[in-house]
Amino acid sequence: MKTTKLKQLIIAAAVGTQFALPLFAADGTATSTNGTATAEISAAPVAADNSAQEAEIKTLKEQVEALVQKVNALAQKPASAESVATISDLDQKVRILQRQREIDQDAATAKSATAPKVSLGQNGFSFSSADTNFVLQLHAVLQFDSRTYFHDDNAKGVDGFLLRRARPILSGTVARDFEYNFTPDFGGSQVQIVDAYTIYHGAPEFQVQAGKFKSPVGLEALQSDVNTSFNERSLATDLVPNRDLGLALKGDLYGGAASYAVGIFNGVSDYNGTATNTFSQNSKAAVARLFFQPWKNSDVNALRGFGFGVAGSYENDQPTTNATTGLTPGYMTDGQQKFFTYNKNVDASGVHWRLSPQTYYYYGPFGLLGEYVISDQHVSNYAVGGSKNVDVHNTAWEISGSWLLTGEDASYSGITPRKNFDPRLNQWGAWQLVARYANLSVDDDAFKGASATTSLANPTTSADNAQAFAFGLNWYLNKNVRANLSFSHTTFSGYAGSKFAAGSVPSEAENVLFTRIQLAF
Amino acid sequence: MKTFLNLVLLAALAVSASAAEVKLLNVSYDPTRELYTEYNAAFAKYWQAKTGDTVTVSQSHGGSGKQAQGVINGLDADVVTLALAYDIDAIASQSHLLPADWQKRLPHNSTPYTSTIVFLVRKGNPKGIKDWNDVVKKGVSVVVPNPKTSGGARWAYLAAYAYALEKNNHDDAAARSFITKLYKNVPVLDSGARGATVTFAKNGIGDVLLAWENEAHLALKEFGADNFEIVTPSLSILAEPPVALVDKNAKRHHTTEVATEYLKYLYSDAAQEIAAKNFYRPRNEAVAAKYAGNFTQLKLVTLDAEFGSWANAQKTHFADGGVFDQIYQSQ
Repeated sequence: MKTTKLKQLIIAAAVGTQFALPLFAADGTATSTNGTATAEISAAPVAADNSAQEAEIKTLKEQVEALVQKVNALAQKPASAESVATISDLDQKVRILQRQREIDQDAATAKSATAPKVSLGQNGFSFSSADTNFVLQLHAVLQFDSRTYFHDDNAKGVDGFLLRRARPILSGTVARDFEYNFTPDFGGSQVQIVDAYTIYHGAPEFQVQAGKFKSPVGLEALQSDVNTSFNERSLATDLVPNRDLGLALKGDLYGGAASYAVGIFNGVSDYNGTATNTFSQNSKAAVARLFFQPWKNSDVNALRGFGFGVAGSYENDQPTTNATTGLTPGYMTDGQQKFFTYNKNVDASGVHWRLSPQTYYYYGPFGLLGEYVISDQHVSNYAVGGSKNVDVHNTAWEISGSWLLTGEDASYSGITPRKNFDPRLNQWGAWQLVARYANLSVDDDAFKGASATTSLANPTTSADNAQAFAFGLNWYLNKNVRANLSFSHTTFSGYAGSKFAAGSVPSEAENVLFTRIQLAF
Repeated sequence: MKTFLNLVLLAALAVSASAAEVKLLNVSYDPTRELYTEYNAAFAKYWQAKTGDTVTVSQSHGGSGKQAQGVINGLDADVVTLALAYDIDAIASQSHLLPADWQKRLPHNSTPYTSTIVFLVRKGNPKGIKDWNDVVKKGVSVVVPNPKTSGGARWAYLAAYAYALEKNNHDDAAARSFITKLYKNVPVLDSGARGATVTFAKNGIGDVLLAWENEAHLALKEFGADNFEIVTPSLSILAEPPVALVDKNAKRHHTTEVATEYLKYLYSDAAQEIAAKNFYRPRNEAVAAKYAGNFTQLKLVTLDAEFGSWANAQKTHFADGGVFDQIYQSQ
């Protein structure tokens, strides 16, 4: 094999030389296409050159002939059987090694295709089967707050630090189509299960959710805890249910241009979420929500982030135990102080319905969110001579706006900084200004009665109306870490003819400075 | 209103009467690509003529053992057409997608065609390989896939073992020594039969390929009869590749009827002819006689006679720690 290759090489060199010779001659002579000289161009000096060239050609011819002889000699010399066998063996070994490598690569590819996948990143830890039908994700939310109350005569809000939320979140899917979420909360005064649900994803248009999860009514309430503009949700959220136990059918239609949710729940009172696994009444709450984003998939950039909808609930509150009243534990200020509560001996006594038109608009760095809520509930005071089956019609609304100073896109579902915080690279994350106005109005009928104790609520300790203005600055260091600073000012007005008792929450305006360090992944 | 209702009714009837489009997945072993490509077309034609429905059969091929594991792990087969019964037994026992007695549901133990193991050698047979005892000679390089993953390789292994038993008065130790020598001559193990054919025919590795009979004929067609030739040993094994409905998958896909018919039609004259043309030995005697020229006659031992059962053969030879692991890992 080696001699054959060598022979080929030498013959190629010889042939190449022979073909090259006429080209060399072309410097001094014109040549026909077959390479023979056809005419002399110059006189004596040319003749001298020609003789030199002829000598050179002769020398080259001799060299070529010598090479040809050598080639012929090599060609006639038989390769030994031993060397042929060795070369053949080597050739086989090389082929086998190459093939083994291919097989190993195929095996490695096949193995990696069936191996479980583990990933860690800004979206948390994720473990999944090779076909991704089974996924286990670990996320966490940690919110470390401070609240500082001003001009409060040290009587009401207590200044200090607060672990607002401390939630490990286990989520994922089983058997491809079944999503699950289990979220306990170690923040606050007691550990509780915040979310525990499963969702069957038959199709984007058809999903069934069961367990404990957010009742689909309030727009701000439905926004993730890590994405709200302020530390605390607004007065409007006081009138919507929080998390509840139930079953919901939901889905996205037309690529998310429309979405719906209908469900049946145990039913919870305003601003309340169930903290237990028990329920207090036989009747259940029906909840429905429709939300539209008509331009979500269009090319109209200015309208792509516009959404609007309406949500509502209906239930017949008739608590069957004395342990619960079926009423709100109290409407809260931004500073989480109760400015309205019902009197003792007051229970829900009939139909409770809510209605909430809602909208948001996001365009570039600008964001706007607004909602209006009506919570209408039949309430009775069972004290002697108390008001009976009064239809209490409470309303609230809010509007909040945001502007990302660093130009990122605002969104209902969170902000991703263009440049993560890294002072070494002179990068400072994303900065956002936020402002909000909210108002909550309690029905005057809640305060009517022969006395403060026989009415539904005490007008000297509960406000008839609260309005809050808040503004703040949010700093997104990266997608996982965020710092908030905000100030909230809330004022109260009382029922006509009544004065707030000294020391009561609504007796003076609430001024609170909030800070938060949030870590979420 | 009445007219409207009539229109709705007519529309509903039209929809229900219209031809359906049915999709099947046939999970098969490595060398059956060509057979089922031809058969699927024939069956689709037959089914459309019979029912008006259009049936599209997708094929999945690989080493038989690997394919069975794939189905166990969720590969959504409506039917399986694998190299050996043990692999379908594994699906039945591990995933319960079909009953344990699946093999009784179709004639000939659900094997509509058979095959055997032959040798493919290079043109001129430079190593003079004529029978199994030539394959184990020192200096002969043998290409065969991994019996852990390939059904054909298990048949080849058992054919060689059966030959050794026959030549050594059923002395198991002698047979084991024989098979050890054979696998010492195997430089590389592919995962399936098609890969082994590529190793031998395309990559130029080895002196002999232990191949399915149909695969050897296909190699002649694909890589040139002037490059290779088939050698039929004095003895080989009757390989019986079975077929089965994967009941639960088919039920879930609403394809039970068409999938069942897909398998039954394999026994039809037309399908048996397709099998014979693709060098699978047909069960139908008339078709077998017609294509007798395609198949060299040789002594064929059966698995049950030589090894008791697939379960027994698997446990002794191919299970983890079995004879194959002992002889191949010790190299």
